[in-house]
Amino acid sequence: MKYKLVHKTTYNYIDSIHNYQCIVCLHPISSERQNCEDFKLTIEPNPQNLYARKDYFGNTQYYFSILKPHKVLQVIATSIVEVFTPKLVVANAITCAEALNLFNTKLELKNELLQFQLPSPFIFWDEEIKLFAQTCLIPDESLYESIAKLSEKIFTEFEFNSGATTINTPLNEVLKLRKGVCQDFTHLMIACVRSLGFAARYVSGYLETLPPKGKVKLQGSDASHAWVSVYVPEMGWCEFDPTNNIISGERHIVTAYGRDYSDISPLKGIIFSSGEHKVKVEVDVIPIL
Amino acid sequence: MNTPISFLDSYKKTINSYDEVINKSGEVKPYWATIFAALEAVGMEELGVRNKEIINKLKENGVTYNVYDSENELVRPWKLDPIPFVIHQSEWAAIEKGLIQRANLLDLIYKDIYGEQLLIKNNIIPAELVFNNSGFLRPCFDIQQKEFHQLSLLACDIARGPDGKMWLLDNRVQSPSGSGYALENRIVMANVFPQLNKNIHRGKLGPYFSELQKTVGKLGTNVENPNVVFLSPGAGNETYFEHVYLSSYLGFKLVEGSDLLVREGFVWLKTIDQLERVDVIIKRIDDQWCDPLELNKNSLLGIPGLLQVMRLGNVAVINPPGISVLENHGLMAFIQNACKFLLKEPLIMNSTATWWCGQTKELTYVLNNLPKLIIKKTNRDLGFKSVYGRKLNKEQLKDLKATILSNPKEYVAQEEVSLSTTPSLIDGKILPRLAVIRAFLISDGSNYKVMKGGLTRSSVVEDKFQISNQFGGISKDTWVISDNLEELEEPQERQEDIIEIKKTNPISISTALTSRNAENLFWVGRLSERTLVLTSFLKIIFNRLNENVSSHGKKQPEFLVVLLKAVTHLTQTYPGFVGEDGEEDETVFEKPLAELIPLINDSKKEGSLTYNVQSLLYTINHISEKWNNDTKGIIYLIEESLVSLKASNEQNISQTTHGLDKLYIRLMAFYGNTYETLPRENGFYLFEAGKNIERFLSLVSVIQTLFCFKRSEEVEQLLLESVLENHNLLAQYRSNYKSQLNLVTVLNMLFLEKNSPYTLAYILDTLSYNISNLPKKSEFNQLSIAEKKVLEASTIIKLIDPEELEQADENNFRKTLDSTINTVSELVSSVTSSLSSLYFNHSVMQLSFLATDKDNSDEI
Repeated sequence: MKYKLVHKTTYNYIDSIHNYQCIVCLHPISSERQNCEDFKLTIEPNPQNLYARKDYFGNTQYYFSILKPHKVLQVIATSIVEVFTPKLVVANAITCAEALNLFNTKLELKNELLQFQLPSPFIFWDEEIKLFAQTCLIPDESLYESIAKLSEKIFTEFEFNSGATTINTPLNEVLKLRKGVCQDFTHLMIACVRSLGFAARYVSGYLETLPPKGKVKLQGSDASHAWVSVYVPEMGWCEFDPTNNIISGERHIVTAYGRDYSDISPLKGIIFSSGEHKVKVEVDVIPIL
Repeated sequence: MNTPISFLDSYKKTINSYDEVINKSGEVKPYWATIFAALEAVGMEELGVRNKEIINKLKENGVTYNVYDSENELVRPWKLDPIPFVIHQSEWAAIEKGLIQRANLLDLIYKDIYGEQLLIKNNIIPAELVFNNSGFLRPCFDIQQKEFHQLSLLACDIARGPDGKMWLLDNRVQSPSGSGYALENRIVMANVFPQLNKNIHRGKLGPYFSELQKTVGKLGTNVENPNVVFLSPGAGNETYFEHVYLSSYLGFKLVEGSDLLVREGFVWLKTIDQLERVDVIIKRIDDQWCDPLELNKNSLLGIPGLLQVMRLGNVAVINPPGISVLENHGLMAFIQNACKFLLKEPLIMNSTATWWCGQTKELTYVLNNLPKLIIKKTNRDLGFKSVYGRKLNKEQLKDLKATILSNPKEYVAQEEVSLSTTPSLIDGKILPRLAVIRAFLISDGSNYKVMKGGLTRSSVVEDKFQISNQFGGISKDTWVISDNLEELEEPQERQEDIIEIKKTNPISISTALTSRNAENLFWVGRLSERTLVLTSFLKIIFNRLNENVSSHGKKQPEFLVVLLKAVTHLTQTYPGFVGEDGEEDETVFEKPLAELIPLINDSKKEGSLTYNVQSLLYTINHISEKWNNDTKGIIYLIEESLVSLKASNEQNISQTTHGLDKLYIRLMAFYGNTYETLPRENGFYLFEAGKNIERFLSLVSVIQTLFCFKRSEEVEQLLLESVLENHNLLAQYRSNYKSQLNLVTVLNMLFLEKNSPYTLAYILDTLSYNISNLPKKSEFNQLSIAEKKVLEASTIIKLIDPEELEQADENNFRKTLDSTINTVSELVSSVTSSLSSLYFNHSVMQLSFLATDKDNSDEI
């Protein structure tokens, strides 16, 4: 499948903003699963500087600054991405216990995975989270199947509710509420996986949504999305989407990988202002082939 | 009668472990014999005198070490032992080698961790010590400065172990402090105690600092004339004295994060006339706080966008952020192997034995030997204080074990080293005390040099040394000595000139004033004048009170009541003598001291004298770099006044009035000194503007209270005398007019006299002159808003008719006088805000945010 992605972010400020600086992480990654053929960043007002760099995890990040005083800022990222047909997943039989043993004994594996096993700015856990994880990840059962079960458990037991949480709601609170958005479910699932010693990454990206039957898809109706990538020995990194209980596939387009949201948030900026601001995000995922 | 035993012999008797004075074969080292002979010649009595001189000198120079934990006594004076720590060049040369190797090794480890990570891949250091360490900052992985060495500055704590060798206890890389204190120690010692080093060749500290200047010169993008700033977290930092001291010694501008900004790919310094490009930053804030855009987003100390400018190579920072990964105590356990791996040679100087609890064997050892060990966390910034195993009881040891076992990878244990002792002067006796030396290294880009000297700290009590993060104990000047000059390699330098770099400083010192300092100087002007005016007015009141001692319960004479009310208006400490809603309370006047004394000694009461002195000193301290040594001496005296005025009470009125006199003279000395020495630049004009605005406002406030209501001629006579005294015009009036005082002539003089400094016309002329010298932001040929306001006030004042002002209505109210004063006060007050919006650093909020809006449901 080939997609055209349009990610439009608009900031409205009450007071004029001078000398704005921002970091953008919206350039879809190119990998075995997808190829980013084209990427364009349109920023209004025009930035003074725009620099691209590869971050520590290999994602492309942009830094820009705007000197001109402005009350409205618009950042539009447009990309063309071809997602390859995913290979058929053949789940191997490695059990949770066997996997843990490999992580502890194989140095190369440990060095590669460690940073995705440790707590990170948004990922930390307590006994409750660990207990929740243990209901799915059982030592003698297949790791892959266990993870799939965990993803399914979150999908069935949690309610998608965009007003219940914010980015700063702690994970044990999310667990108690049993409510949240994709970001919360992803962070919670990562915390569960890591709490038992396994490795998990945060994936930011998009999911193509289909309009209700017989209706035309509305512009700007898509959204950015997040899901989980877990390391399974011999299979490598496997992606799970606990928000929709599906194995991520052709309709998932990856932007970036990180330890959690803080590593790869789409836009982060610093303003000097005493006034309020409003943000509006519109996303379109348009299949073109 | 016994013959008195020598210092050396009596010292030898007190030694109870291995000591610096004694060599391996048990003999006194010859250079220590020389030092002891010199001490002996001075004599214990004189030694005590010198010690006091040192204490005074350090106080006068304002040498402090701020400690955060005590609420009231924030500033702790620096302590310096008159007996130095001495080490011979032949031994020092070996130590230097060990330190230089360590610096090279740390530099390579840093590059490897942020580069190929071969140390991790080859299992030389465990991955946990990097990935689980808060000092490892991923956004810094692609920063590279142009010189070979990335680690430019290094401070190492070393001490002599039982084997007679020097051991490395700790290394500091994020903001290595102490070199400024070492320098100040040397200078004070040389001033106070020159005979001690008469027959000794001693290594110089100067070369270290000139090396630092050379390095900084190389690192700049603009090699010809780099603009270097010294970035401090501000006056609250514990080593702020050093920031002020070193930056002014080296000729670099002292700045805080809010003085700098990133624009168009460069770092700029905000000054009141323009933005100035910055080439090199000497960083004294911790790595995490450097850049809120990419590191800790809550930091208000840093510069948003700094990392990006570093990546572009447009600014050099020493040491670069990210280097904090080297401060992990756990790395010490693997340093020997890392040395073999990276340098292909054995480690020269050993570190304290260290065990990382993330390994099974090591963990077992640690758990079985806790009482011998010091337990630390691998992450330094988590507020975990080192735990000394030997200080714990059984129960506590059990708890500690459980804590370590809950997450062994986060803990490190170090052997509690037993250190050598060195002679120290303690309560009039020379006694052995444990010592740790901080050594300083600087790279010129490819080679490290070690300062020939350092900062030694010794314990006050006779116990094992606590190697604290914050400098505890007493410091010592540290001498690297030699039998002949050549060995010290600086034959061209004479013994006396310890430092003379400034003359050969290749870096031009920019005199531009930062917006923050502009604001501070303006407020120093306002606050010193506010304090001065109040002191002077209180003096007048106390004089009158003393002349009119009234028996208990008797009413005060009317003029005194008016004066007392004026002091409440002046300080805005209502209700005070004015009373609530104009309802005056008779009893206040019966015991005026009950109100007046707190107005002096209560430093928590807003508007009181000590409150004002405190605010003044606080602001003065924020721009310490602007004051020369003499000014600092006067500031120290003002601090002393603060202490004595805080202690004033109703019982010792004469002492209080004497204290007021002293403070008045000291503030005048401060004015005199600054007026004579401050360069006629923007800072001076702002200082003077602040002073004159405050002076004008306080004087008119007093005139208003005293004369807006017409009183009996007798009372007015007395008030007129007071007001003239308040303007320092009494003598002049008497010689000019030789007549009885009357309001019309007095007003004539107070308002219109153009040649006396305390008249309103004169003050406004001065104010207008000062403001006109400030840089114009726009409309070069026109008056600024501030200038216009002063002009308007000045015109009103100069056009008054004293006769008209004197007129009172049927209620004895002098309406014209009152309204004129209101108008000019308002105009002059508004000058402050005009100056502020034009020149000062606006503290707009810095917000950092991520693009999320949950309400719009941008996520599935």
